[in-house]
Amino acid sequence: MQKDSLSLSDAEIVRQILDGDVNAFEFILTRYKVQVLKIVKKHVPNEAAEETIQEAFVRAYESLPTFKGTGDFSQWLSSIAVRTCYDHWRKAYRSREVPLSALTERHAQWMEQLISQRSEESFDELGSQREAREILSWALGKLSAENRMVLELVYLEGLSVQEAAELLGWSKANVKVRSFRARMKLEKLLRTVKEQGRRA
Amino acid sequence: MMRSRISENESLKKAFRDAYAAKESEKTGDGWQSAVMKRIRRIGPLTPASNFLPAFEHFVWRLAPVSCLLVLVLTLLFVNMELDVDSDYLGTMAAEMERPTLVELFGLEG
Repeated sequence: MQKDSLSLSDAEIVRQILDGDVNAFEFILTRYKVQVLKIVKKHVPNEAAEETIQEAFVRAYESLPTFKGTGDFSQWLSSIAVRTCYDHWRKAYRSREVPLSALTERHAQWMEQLISQRSEESFDELGSQREAREILSWALGKLSAENRMVLELVYLEGLSVQEAAELLGWSKANVKVRSFRARMKLEKLLRTVKEQGRRA
Repeated sequence: MMRSRISENESLKKAFRDAYAAKESEKTGDGWQSAVMKRIRRIGPLTPASNFLPAFEHFVWRLAPVSCLLVLVLTLLFVNMELDVDSDYLGTMAAEMERPTLVELFGLEG
């Protein structure tokens, strides 16, 4: 009798797929769709999310023969998802399809107000996340694909250098250097916004 | 005095992190799942990864110390040969060039 898909381990499902059972990949898809979807939605714009998640799962399928059954499958899949997002941005920057939104005085004022607040609770009183999201999107759009990914993982998600390095497949030294440079660039961009607010 | 970093301001950092995390809850369609399976069925069953490259890599690494040793020995041998490279080379060149050049240019035979 065939075992229930829920009771099968990742390694067992991978073995089935490698033995030629293509449909067994649906178990992987069901098990990990939420995890991969979360990663992809955070890193790429919503309109590109569906295409990127498809790409991530197809890449995972094609890479299954290289998966060493001893490792953590979830981590392995997350790494593929992150690298697919990175490739999305590399392609977008190469073809100059990165949307560059413009900031207004409103953003500068919002930032100025937020920075001058003493307590964290006051942030909620300042209203929506819209300004934060728009400033962030504007600043990230001005960074390279590498700086963008490392900033998202380390600065925005709070991952350690080691974790980010594993997900991106880079060395720890590379992540450290990139992270530092990306933060410096972000700082410079935020200062521009602040200066604009003062001038206005 | 050192300026404080805007990007390290706790309130702003929290605002950015919250805005970034909120992207997770954006809605996407469901069609992608069937599209993934369609693409995968089109690719078909996978062939197991070839073991050639890892085996070759292992072989290369095993040979690396031997290669280094060989390079070192050859370098030492070359240094100890005490060849007068400049004079030998120029002498050979002069002898080689003289005859054919005169014959070709002036038709002179010794």
